[in-house]
Amino acid sequence: MKAFDHVTAASTREAVELLSSAAPDGARLIAGGTDLLTLMKADLIAPPRLIDLKPASELRYLRFDDAGALHIGALTTLADLERHPEVAQRLPVLPQSVRDAATPQLRALATVGGNLLQRPRCWYYRGDALCWLKGGSACFARDGQNKYHAILDHSPCVAVHPSDLAPALLALDAELVIHGPGGARVLPVESFFAAPTDQERVEYRLAADEVLAEITVPRQPEGARGAYLKVMDRQAWAFALVSAAAQVALRDGRIEHVRLVLGGVANVPQRIRAVEDLLTGQELTPKLAEQAAERAVAGAKPLAHNAYKVPLARELARRALLAATGLMV
Amino acid sequence: MSTPKTHLIGASLPRPDALGKVTGAARYPADLIRPGMLHLQLVFAQRPHARIVALDTSAAEGAPGVAAVLTAKDVPYNAHGLIDADQPALCGDVVRFEGDKVALVVAESKEQAEAAAKLVAVTYEDLPAVTDARAALAAGAPLVHAELGTNLLLHIPIRKGDTARAFAEAAVVLEGAFSTSWQEHAFLQPEAGIAYVDEQERVVIETAGQWLHEDRRQIAAMLQLPEEQVIVRYAAIGGAFGGREDLSMQHLLALAAWKLRRPVAMQWKREESMIAHHKRHPFDIRCRWGATREGRITAVEAEVIADGGAYASTSVEVTKVATLFASGCYEIPNISVDGYAVYTNNVPCGAFRGFGAPQAQFAAEIMVTRLAHALGMDPVELRRRNIYREGSLEPTQQPLPEGVSALPVLERCVEEARARLRYGEPRESDVPSAPHLRRGIGIACGIKNVGYSFGYQEQSTAKVHLYGKAELERAVVLIGAADVGQGAHLILRQIAAETLGIALEQVSMVTDDSGEAPNAGSASASRMTLMGGRAVHDAALAARAKWSAAEEYEAEAEVQFHPPATTPLDPMSGAGRPNYCYGYAAQAVEVEVNTLTGQVRVLRVISVHDVGRAINMQQVEGQIEGCLAQAVGYALLEDFQVRDGHVLTPYFSTYLLPTALDMPPEIVPVVLELADPNGPYGARGVAEMPLVPFAPAVAAAIHDATGVWLSQQPMTPERVLAALSAMNGQSTAG
Repeated sequence: MKAFDHVTAASTREAVELLSSAAPDGARLIAGGTDLLTLMKADLIAPPRLIDLKPASELRYLRFDDAGALHIGALTTLADLERHPEVAQRLPVLPQSVRDAATPQLRALATVGGNLLQRPRCWYYRGDALCWLKGGSACFARDGQNKYHAILDHSPCVAVHPSDLAPALLALDAELVIHGPGGARVLPVESFFAAPTDQERVEYRLAADEVLAEITVPRQPEGARGAYLKVMDRQAWAFALVSAAAQVALRDGRIEHVRLVLGGVANVPQRIRAVEDLLTGQELTPKLAEQAAERAVAGAKPLAHNAYKVPLARELARRALLAATGLMV
Repeated sequence: MSTPKTHLIGASLPRPDALGKVTGAARYPADLIRPGMLHLQLVFAQRPHARIVALDTSAAEGAPGVAAVLTAKDVPYNAHGLIDADQPALCGDVVRFEGDKVALVVAESKEQAEAAAKLVAVTYEDLPAVTDARAALAAGAPLVHAELGTNLLLHIPIRKGDTARAFAEAAVVLEGAFSTSWQEHAFLQPEAGIAYVDEQERVVIETAGQWLHEDRRQIAAMLQLPEEQVIVRYAAIGGAFGGREDLSMQHLLALAAWKLRRPVAMQWKREESMIAHHKRHPFDIRCRWGATREGRITAVEAEVIADGGAYASTSVEVTKVATLFASGCYEIPNISVDGYAVYTNNVPCGAFRGFGAPQAQFAAEIMVTRLAHALGMDPVELRRRNIYREGSLEPTQQPLPEGVSALPVLERCVEEARARLRYGEPRESDVPSAPHLRRGIGIACGIKNVGYSFGYQEQSTAKVHLYGKAELERAVVLIGAADVGQGAHLILRQIAAETLGIALEQVSMVTDDSGEAPNAGSASASRMTLMGGRAVHDAALAARAKWSAAEEYEAEAEVQFHPPATTPLDPMSGAGRPNYCYGYAAQAVEVEVNTLTGQVRVLRVISVHDVGRAINMQQVEGQIEGCLAQAVGYALLEDFQVRDGHVLTPYFSTYLLPTALDMPPEIVPVVLELADPNGPYGARGVAEMPLVPFAPAVAAAIHDATGVWLSQQPMTPERVLAALSAMNGQSTAG
């Protein structure tokens, strides 16, 4: 890790100002630091200045508004989210998704905002080689060791997104409030995430002078229930091999609203619209859940070492749908 | 040897070092670093095979704070190794794996050393790398050590009886192909240490290791100094598991201190530790087993290939152990096994708890269970009919050393498994509410030598001083024995106190300085209780005898203990007496397999061991439980990924160790005490044994649960799913 200068930002506005006045690649925000510091220690990034956002306590909150929307300040920790009784009651998919993320120690530090901005754990990206994602010419995982990599081919890079929270937020149609020099903008979380392209070799769309300030979860349809399932190589403290988040609302026994999101299968969490189209208006039966799960992995193109993810994703999709519908606990 | 009435032997005395380790008061090597010391940073090759065309250190030497940049030309004798001195301290002409070291930067601060290391300009000409052991044996393969003319480090054949005839007459013949992967020791404390030159012109290295006197020998040879001019001291050691047997940084600390005449310090990051120190050997094993209808195993043929990586380390010995155990702990009349140790451009492999025994018996134990199934026989019964007994001939055609307890260990394991796991009873449907969760039970046996093998001049030396007036008041025991966390110091102290008939508090230990304490030999091969313990016992007895006759109120005695001699294996037939003592183990394991995700949970483990005599029962049980944690990782989780000689898993985020939640909820350690003829109070070793039967027992349990056999370690969810889908006739995954 290279030496850096450390300054604090007492507010969102100050953070935007500090970012705006920095040279290109001159500064990065730090909150929990649980991902940023690993990147710095591995010399993947070397920002000359870190702007510590933690003093901006205005960004650490969790509250429901009168319209039933949940507002999550970007500095809210995963532990805050995990332990909030009203969130657990009204949006159980959120605490379910963070419960198996990292460890209690890390969840006490890691913030919701930082969780969405973390970079992939691909061993080529984290290692010494200059892979495509780091500006090189080739993705070494594509023809290398790729057991943890994508089964959907959306980018020259085949790394997967490590967040557990992101699929759950996608399933809840969450939006992000982003502050920049020109004011605030609101962006659906699904548009915030995007597969890396030649121009933007990163998994999110956020300008260098912008601050992710809030995650807003809109009021969910009446009676909606959610489920988040994660498969890991060990019982705790591992990134998802595959994860699935589902949010379902029934009316008169038929599916009125459904979201199904898969994690660990592509560069960014994948909302599976084909499944939503299939299920809307239907009565979910075990048979239909199987069909839906089959459809969820229809486009899968596994690499040499990750074909196992296809049955995993299929099974998690099936079980998440059944669990969210109350057909399976 | 028998001392029937004891009060300290077997007592679960608390560890004197435990409180300090829990509170953080214990001083590990990194805690010895003090202000004013120079800091060292290595420049690693980071490529599997290349010629060094040019090495320019001028920019680094001119960088702020840099005191020196040492390279191969600064090393007086640039080769080291436990057996063959084939590893350069700093590479001068060729680098042979990515953790090879090419330069050592010495600077006033760690940051300055790190910054300057990036300025060392090395021009490489990449050479073709060979990263597969079988490929390394093929004609025309790139040579790791060109001067040797071959990548073959060892070929050892074992021949007994007439396998061709036995296979022809066998009722059942089965073939198997197995592969095991690397394993990282993952000790909690990465390598660190300090070194300085003292007022007597001695270079002093304070660090962690497993054998003070062997570290000293290699460092003295490198610096071309008399051994007495090198002092090695061990601080608190944060785990070893074989991973501190080879020199890692001890010699480089010594080199820098000696050259610069200033105190120096170095501390590796986890990723440096992961790429630079040796690993457990991957093995490729192909074998054929034959048995008669009556359940007599009559023939074993096997080819056992170890990827030794870039340097010799202990590959030769590990491969001999694996070759010896390719037929498990069974007396089989016809054996033909060929063991090969091979150089590649992968990370060097060497000692790791089990030392070749777990890999060989992963194959052997699975084959025995498969044979039983093929014969329609209970796998326990087949084992019972063939297992080693007193007087059985080893594959090397000599009778086993006295004290063969394989059968009583197995019988006890079966008894416990019947009582606790209802082994042998027809199973109800496993988990009625979740048909994708299937449970199964597997049983396997294990054997591992205690102590050094194959003609090694095995010894352990201890010195005991006695002081007092009318009565014996206190004793000082001097023995250079590493306590790597296994509790050796308390064991040795208990033996001394018991033998002298005094309280534990009256015995003090001098153990961690090569200049003060005599050579106990290595804290490895499960040997320290037997070897070091016997040396302490015998020295205590000798000192006590002198004390009785002494007029002064002081007596001392030094004893070098030698166990019964072993012999090298005959190069044509493998014949010989390979070992003087074995540890025997058997385990019953219950697993739950999730057939949808491929995940395997270990629910219960019964681990039965003959330890001869438990000196400290709590520590024996601790060794069994701790070793099982490492065994769970080895069997199911730890997947060290290497691609073209490049380690992809240098972090614990992708090299997954078991967590507390991955441990079986129930572990039942069962300790038998069938005395060893040489061990102090009958004690033999236990440290490695739980790792030997575990992976094949898990494989058998997975088979019992699902009907599929896994033959690759680790048995990851991906592999379980692939095996299940292959069985179900679907396309094979992964």
